Amino acid sequence: MASESTDRVELLQGTLDLIVLRALDTMGPQHAYGLAARLEQVAEPSLRLNQGTLYPALVRLEQKGWIKGAWQRTETNREAKYYSVTKAGVRGLEKQTERWRRLAGLVDKLLLNEG
Amino acid sequence: MASLRRFFLRLANALRPGRAEPDLARELTSHLTLLEDDFRRRGMSPEEARLAATRAFNGVEQTKELHRDARSFRWLDDARRDLRHAGRLLRRDRLFTATAALSLALGISANTTIFTVANALLFQPPAGVVEPDRLVDIGTSGLRGGFGPSSYPNYLDIRERTTSLDGVYAYSRFPQAMSLGGVGTDVGTESVFGSVVTINYFTVLGAIPAAGRLFGRADSDHPGASPVVVLSHRFWTRHFNTDPTLLGRAVMLNGHPFTVVGVASEGFHGTGVRAVDVWVPMNMAAAVTAQAAATLTDRAAHWLLIGGRLKPDLSVSQAAAEMDVIGRTLERAYPEQNRGTGLRLMASSPVPGNGGPMVAFLALLIVIVSLVLIVACANVAGVLLARGAARRQEMALRLAIGAGRARLVRQLLTETVLLFVLGGTVGLLLARGMVSVLVSLLPTLPFPVDLSLTLDGRVIAYTVGLSLLAALLSGLAPALQASKADVLSGLRNDPGLAGRLRLRHAFVIGQVAISIVLIISAGLFLRALQRAASIDPGFDPRGVELASLDLAQAGYTKTTGPLFARELVDRVRELSDVQSVTVATSVPGGFEVRREALAVPGVQPPNGRFFTVDWNVVEPGFFATLRTPISAGRDFTPDDRAGTQPVVVVSESAARQFWPGQDAVGKYLSQPTHGPQGPTNPMQPLLVIGVARDVQSSSLVDGVARASAYVPLQQQYVSSLTIVARTTSGRRITDQLRALLASMNPNVPIMTSQTLEDSIALGLAPQRVVASVAGGLGIVALLLAAIGVYGVTAYAVARRTREIGIRIALGARRTDVVRMVLQEGLSLTLIGAGVGLTLAGATSHVLAAFLFGIPPIDPLTFTGTTLLFVAIGVAACYVPIRRATRIDAMEALRYE
Repeated sequence: MASESTDRVELLQGTLDLIVLRALDTMGPQHAYGLAARLEQVAEPSLRLNQGTLYPALVRLEQKGWIKGAWQRTETNREAKYYSVTKAGVRGLEKQTERWRRLAGLVDKLLLNEG
Repeated sequence: MASLRRFFLRLANALRPGRAEPDLARELTSHLTLLEDDFRRRGMSPEEARLAATRAFNGVEQTKELHRDARSFRWLDDARRDLRHAGRLLRRDRLFTATAALSLALGISANTTIFTVANALLFQPPAGVVEPDRLVDIGTSGLRGGFGPSSYPNYLDIRERTTSLDGVYAYSRFPQAMSLGGVGTDVGTESVFGSVVTINYFTVLGAIPAAGRLFGRADSDHPGASPVVVLSHRFWTRHFNTDPTLLGRAVMLNGHPFTVVGVASEGFHGTGVRAVDVWVPMNMAAAVTAQAAATLTDRAAHWLLIGGRLKPDLSVSQAAAEMDVIGRTLERAYPEQNRGTGLRLMASSPVPGNGGPMVAFLALLIVIVSLVLIVACANVAGVLLARGAARRQEMALRLAIGAGRARLVRQLLTETVLLFVLGGTVGLLLARGMVSVLVSLLPTLPFPVDLSLTLDGRVIAYTVGLSLLAALLSGLAPALQASKADVLSGLRNDPGLAGRLRLRHAFVIGQVAISIVLIISAGLFLRALQRAASIDPGFDPRGVELASLDLAQAGYTKTTGPLFARELVDRVRELSDVQSVTVATSVPGGFEVRREALAVPGVQPPNGRFFTVDWNVVEPGFFATLRTPISAGRDFTPDDRAGTQPVVVVSESAARQFWPGQDAVGKYLSQPTHGPQGPTNPMQPLLVIGVARDVQSSSLVDGVARASAYVPLQQQYVSSLTIVARTTSGRRITDQLRALLASMNPNVPIMTSQTLEDSIALGLAPQRVVASVAGGLGIVALLLAAIGVYGVTAYAVARRTREIGIRIALGARRTDVVRMVLQEGLSLTLIGAGVGLTLAGATSHVLAAFLFGIPPIDPLTFTGTTLLFVAIGVAACYVPIRRATRIDAMEALRYE
């Protein structure tokens, strides 16, 4: 049996951004911790995410103008920064998803042919 | 779009961090709190939950770093951080910053100033000239080398014979002053500087006109055939307000009509540095030059500089070899005129033939200013080292918490670079002022010079590069030393490392040595100037006004010219301030010396038929006005006039050369008449009526009196004259002379006016410049060195406070303490002085050529400088000594 470490998926450069964007799009406004919890829940154990790595992805998306952060209160009355997808973000998500599909399809096809 | 937006936001974040960092901290805290809440909900105690949250998050600091990387540019962010840190440190230590920046500013501005001059002379390509690096200068060399002008017939032969040059042109060596009149409604004339050039001058240089046309195929080489002129752009702008209707109009040059055909392109002034107002074609030389008819036919009349353009694929040395052969051929073909002369060809230079000495002189200045910069750098490096020692704890701490060495070096270097940028900026501003100071050190030249001493891009790039290089050189060693801080000993605050001290001592020794070299060089040049001033020049240059004019400009002839000159002298004598006055063709120390061939009956010259003497044509009163004693016989009188026995006064050295041990008065000299091919028969006998004291004629520098002969203007008329007037008050009388001349004949303008002292000063200009530059900067270097010695000694005392306290407690006397500190400070000064004196000894041998026989190891200069430095060393130790002797034993032992 393969060890845990080989089972773990290494994220391709840039895919984390897409995942975060997609998650925010489906979940609605969410803070970094909620986002991390959600991703762990969905992907565990194949994706082990260091919670800190979310932050660079968030700042990249924010700087591109695809998401926006705002301070709000949680249900437990803690303060947290909630990120939401902007209009440009929705368009960006469509484009990036399309690109990813094409890339994944291409890789799939190549792997099948080789196999 | 999105990625562009991100790029600018990253850039903005790097330059102005704003709220990003505190915002991130707040977000991370909130993240941890939420995690903690979760763990508590799962039943952990608050304490456990907090630990678990921190563990689960795995690295708050790393996340912050990742975030910084993503939101801004890391290297830029670091640089900004370093800069802010450096700025804060520099602001905190104002005294250090001010001294360091100021000393660097002085060093950098001195370098910039000299480079500005070098840039103008060596690197700025001549304006409006195509491929200037393919141009060459051709000069006539004499028996002792040299690079002199050539004659027109020789020029024609060179042009005919050369196969390595694509074009050969010639132009008059000195721009000649000419009178310009008849322009528009302007009445009267003004003096302009004109250059006589061959028709192909502009073509070979590749010049293009700004308006009209330049000389070319339309013009003829036939004498007198094309009375046309081309104006310089500067002259056209300044005097005619770029009036386009001037083209095709007639102007009067020296009373001859010329047509303006064109204007040269802006900035064009050939390959030299002399400014020209008008260019006149060679075939019109007779109309505008003083020597008139013979100029184009006399092979012995050397007045032209020759230039040419190399054929493609040929090197300067190949062309030079060919020119050497042509020179020999011409010497064989015309032995009477070309004996002992050859031809030399060199790459074109703003100062034809003197490219080498000029480069050497500039190199000397650059070495001097570089030394000052090195001293300044060593000084800053020394202080940085000391500061590094003080900051060892800080460095050790930063190393301990994981900062890389490279990162520390970068931070320390940033500090130094900031310091040098500060120094460089101030230096660049200072340089602007220093350029004008340097120009003011130069005496006024008798002809205008077109040299653009601007702080152009090249100069600024040089300054910036120099500042950064200096920063790197003086910052690297201290930065490496400081970052080497050993974590353990650094945190324990151990006293300074031996290596660091050695390095600092080396800096101080170097500073002392270099300042000694500078001060000694300055001293030697000052002594040389003093020596030059103490040489009896054979005349008294104080309070003598000179004004040059050319009577040919107003059409005076052999018959009318002498009368006008006589009347002029009489009228000038009546001016209120004038004590005595004369006119002469040349004055001592002047640039242009006329040489004349003479035969001495019964005496055979070493080679050829003639002796060559410095020739001066004067009115009576010349010797009295210059206060040159007549040692035998008499001065000229008004009775020595046309139609009487031609007479001559010779100098003592001429008398010694021609008739050693005999009385020269009453002897005869034979003056050849000038034929079209130079001096020939028949001879005119000249009776020697007097012997005058030797005058250091051409230049005081060589200190050699050459044989001279003086003849009366009334017998041997020459149109180009200088009024020589001794005034009682020493005040300038230029305006009175100008007014007087205008009232006598408005067509005779004064071309140049100068004092005799200025005229002489020209020959000593290099020494004066070096003495001022080296002296001024030497004092700066001296102060810097003193600061260095003080710093090291003071530091040593501070370091040994405890030891000194123990010594005092054990009964050491004050004198022992004084001796100890003095030893520490003075030993550096003395070692530095030893090194410096050795270097200066070597340097001064190199400088010997400039020193007029001052022995290179001049005892006065060397001893004086050494004593000065010992005194300064002691002075620098004074404050540390006082501090050392006041150390209280108890307090010192409690120290730390």
